[in-house]
Amino acid sequence: MKIAIWGDELAAWVAAAELARTGNEVLLQQLQPEDSSLRAEPGLMESISQGLATGAIRQVNRQLACSAEIHWLAMHPSHLSDARALCTEIGHRGPDELIIINQSNFGLGASDQLQGCLQGRGQQTVVCLPDTLQQGQALQQFSQPTAFLIGCEHPEMQPRLQALLRPFSNGLQQLQWMTRREAEFSKFAISGMLALRLNYINELANLADRLGVDIEVVRHGMATDKRIGEHYLAPGCGFGGTHFTQYIEGLADILSETRHSTLLKTVLEENERQKELPFRKLWQHYQCDLQGKTVTIWGCAFKPGVASVDNAPALPVVRALQAQGVNIQLHDPEAIEALKQAIPDCKSLSFYSDRYAALENSDALLIMTEWPEYASPDCSRMKALMQAPLIVDGRNLLEPEFVQHQGFVYYGVGRPASQC
Amino acid sequence: MDKETAWRALEQLADTERTHHLKDLLQDPDRFEQFSFRQDELLLDLSRQRLTPATLKALLQLAEGCQLGSWIEALFSGESINNTEQRPALHTALRQPAHNSFMLDGQDINQDVHRELERMEHLVSQLHQQQWRGFSGEPIDTLVNIGVGGSDLGPMMVCHGLEEFQPAAARAIKIHFISSMDGSQLSSLLQHLDPARTLFLVASKSFTTADTLANAATARDWLRQASDIPDPLLLKRHFIGITARPEKAQEWGLSADNLLHFWDWVGGRYSLWSTIGFAIAVRIGMDGFKALLDGASRMDNHFRHAPGSSNLPVLLALAEIWNINFLDIHAHAILPYDGRLAHLPAYLEQLEMESNGKSVDRDGQRVQHRTCPVLWGEIGPNAQHAFYQLLHQGSEAVMCDFIVAANRYGDAGESLQSQHRLTLANCLAQARVLALGDSALDQAASSAWQHYHGNQPSTLILLDKLTPGALGALIALYEHKVFVQSVIWNINPFDQWGVELGKQMANTLLPHIGARPQQGFDTATEGLLNELNQLTTGSKPA
Repeated sequence: MKIAIWGDELAAWVAAAELARTGNEVLLQQLQPEDSSLRAEPGLMESISQGLATGAIRQVNRQLACSAEIHWLAMHPSHLSDARALCTEIGHRGPDELIIINQSNFGLGASDQLQGCLQGRGQQTVVCLPDTLQQGQALQQFSQPTAFLIGCEHPEMQPRLQALLRPFSNGLQQLQWMTRREAEFSKFAISGMLALRLNYINELANLADRLGVDIEVVRHGMATDKRIGEHYLAPGCGFGGTHFTQYIEGLADILSETRHSTLLKTVLEENERQKELPFRKLWQHYQCDLQGKTVTIWGCAFKPGVASVDNAPALPVVRALQAQGVNIQLHDPEAIEALKQAIPDCKSLSFYSDRYAALENSDALLIMTEWPEYASPDCSRMKALMQAPLIVDGRNLLEPEFVQHQGFVYYGVGRPASQC
Repeated sequence: MDKETAWRALEQLADTERTHHLKDLLQDPDRFEQFSFRQDELLLDLSRQRLTPATLKALLQLAEGCQLGSWIEALFSGESINNTEQRPALHTALRQPAHNSFMLDGQDINQDVHRELERMEHLVSQLHQQQWRGFSGEPIDTLVNIGVGGSDLGPMMVCHGLEEFQPAAARAIKIHFISSMDGSQLSSLLQHLDPARTLFLVASKSFTTADTLANAATARDWLRQASDIPDPLLLKRHFIGITARPEKAQEWGLSADNLLHFWDWVGGRYSLWSTIGFAIAVRIGMDGFKALLDGASRMDNHFRHAPGSSNLPVLLALAEIWNINFLDIHAHAILPYDGRLAHLPAYLEQLEMESNGKSVDRDGQRVQHRTCPVLWGEIGPNAQHAFYQLLHQGSEAVMCDFIVAANRYGDAGESLQSQHRLTLANCLAQARVLALGDSALDQAASSAWQHYHGNQPSTLILLDKLTPGALGALIALYEHKVFVQSVIWNINPFDQWGVELGKQMANTLLPHIGARPQQGFDTATEGLLNELNQLTTGSKPA
């Protein structure tokens, strides 16, 4: 099928790569993502290059793209009016029978609005297909989904959609048809639920800190209850990322405007507080005075496997340390460039490509991202390098008892010192 | 013409003019033109004062006879015009541009002023960036200003008045004002605050003010209960002091880094322009604070250089002198037609009555005439439902100040704009009825109790818009008016000896409250001490 891809979001590029790989003719407006963190998505750029080499992916002008029979919209949440204009144009220029698959987070009811932009000529249909991609593993998630929630109000278009999605349907456990609005709402509901779980476990972790209980033990206990399960129960210094946060912000706004509910607004506020937790532990350890100290940060990506620092907990922590006159020595395997862009001209920040070199003369180590290579460090080497053997583990990555035995003062999240 | 001659001339004029009714004076089609005066964004309308051109001329001669011009120069140039305390009153030096210099006793005090403003800016910016951290490492999001009198009324009035000018970064910070000695404000406030995120601002010129230190001590105890970190650290994270006596503040336990200074030559009720305005700078940002200073500075220049006949503070002062000393009007109502200026009456009560509530002149002689009238006020439309009855039909002559902004709610909805038009209409209506009485209507009153005599004089101050600059100019207008009146009355407006004896007596009585009764006081005090002792300890009266 001939498919035009619109937008510069992760979902747009992943769809381009995967749809080209499965035999479609993919039409793009630009040759690579603007956002460098998207370009770092594992396997993505290779896949796109391959598609370009084989001719499965082509860069074409807007007019030609408009004439395609399938349109894949994964545009920035703030570009709804562009999307409306685009759909109007596609409605005029495109064939009588076409499908616009909307994966953009434009909010509730946006897919219906886009349908309204089509003139109702022939079988022109907008379908809402919420994306379930996570940065770092997006290609794999696109190609092997376990479920599809599809908002489609034209049953006659279903066979065509199913044909398009067939190459990705092998491991499919569920395919659910619903209205466009229900599909949009489902995506919001899922994101909100996950955020609530994360927020809840962090709240419990902070309480556990005060009560002398190890939250890691408690959360494994919680997971034995099948109604709860184990996912999204890892306490830490807050969640980040672009996509996830945008959905939660969107739902928080809807809840607040429609119901005056502060539930998700509180979740977002508490998450922002949680991001600074490692700073607070350090602040308290050094009795409210960090002036002139040297602090090492391991990890600034918002999660392991990505090169992005969007809404990453490391950002507010770096700003807080900077404001207290701390020299910061930072290591991250992927995201240093992104951090340099996010916090330009920071004189007190230096970057290291070797995680041990970043520890030299340091008064503390803060672990902000659970990159696998941080999980089992050489403690004696660390201790020799550091000025003070202090670890604040914002991701509960290390084994407290072990590092304490190695002579470190250790602070985790919900892992009180007396219990470790 | 000397003061006595000018005074006598005014007394003679008053003999005839006392009988004039405002409804007749307002027949003159040129009256508004003649008696309204503009300075930048302020219009001062004196056309409803019971003045004639001849009176105004005679009043200006009185000002001349009192050497007003040289007194103004003495004020601005830093002479020790606060003669009982032998120091200058240099609040005008707090609002000079940075590039000026002002030498006082060999020291460039303008440099001192701007150095403190910069220190203040640094602290404000830490708060706005949410990088001022409390003991737990949380950013401070609540500021509690502990002060009384000038350390409370000015900052509170301006913060309330200019709330809409807060920059985005300031929205995260809540500000509270605590002044009452009995702790009632503080105890109910503390129940709602998080100690980890609260910063106290202790503002006291002398750092010995009993009310303020009592509240500060309660705040300190509250923090101690919340955190076990050592006292110096706790105070360093949660207290800022603003004082002219840094050594006293340090004795109390404040860190030198957290002290903002002002000086002996700033009177408490003239101090909102100094670092005492910290809460204002937090609320409206340093840019807003500087615009406030600039508005005042423009009024300073006008006051210093404009001739009396077009000088707003001089004209306002003289119109009131005429009322107080020649028309026997001894009550003054302040009536802002703007809820944002709710605290302006309380602010002006202190500014005027603490400055000019005196009856001994600069030479130590008892004054031969009335000085500051009793002054009170309320948001105008609310006062209409409270004390306007007395203004319209009572037996007291009262002069009124109406203060209102022409423009408001520019971007807001139609319903708020129509509320503003309603308020303007009420403001103009009340000033008109007070002046004209029944004659504002086409027909006479149908009964004696529906009769309005009118002839109550009023001033109307019209701001283009309530902005930091306009408010700065408005406050400076009143400050200088107070000064002009003090010159006419030959009193020192910059001391306040009348508040000392009560403080001293309270210290004497404190050990006797709830203790065994002692002799040596007057019978009323002894009787009450006895009763208190009985009520608080359950013992029988002696």
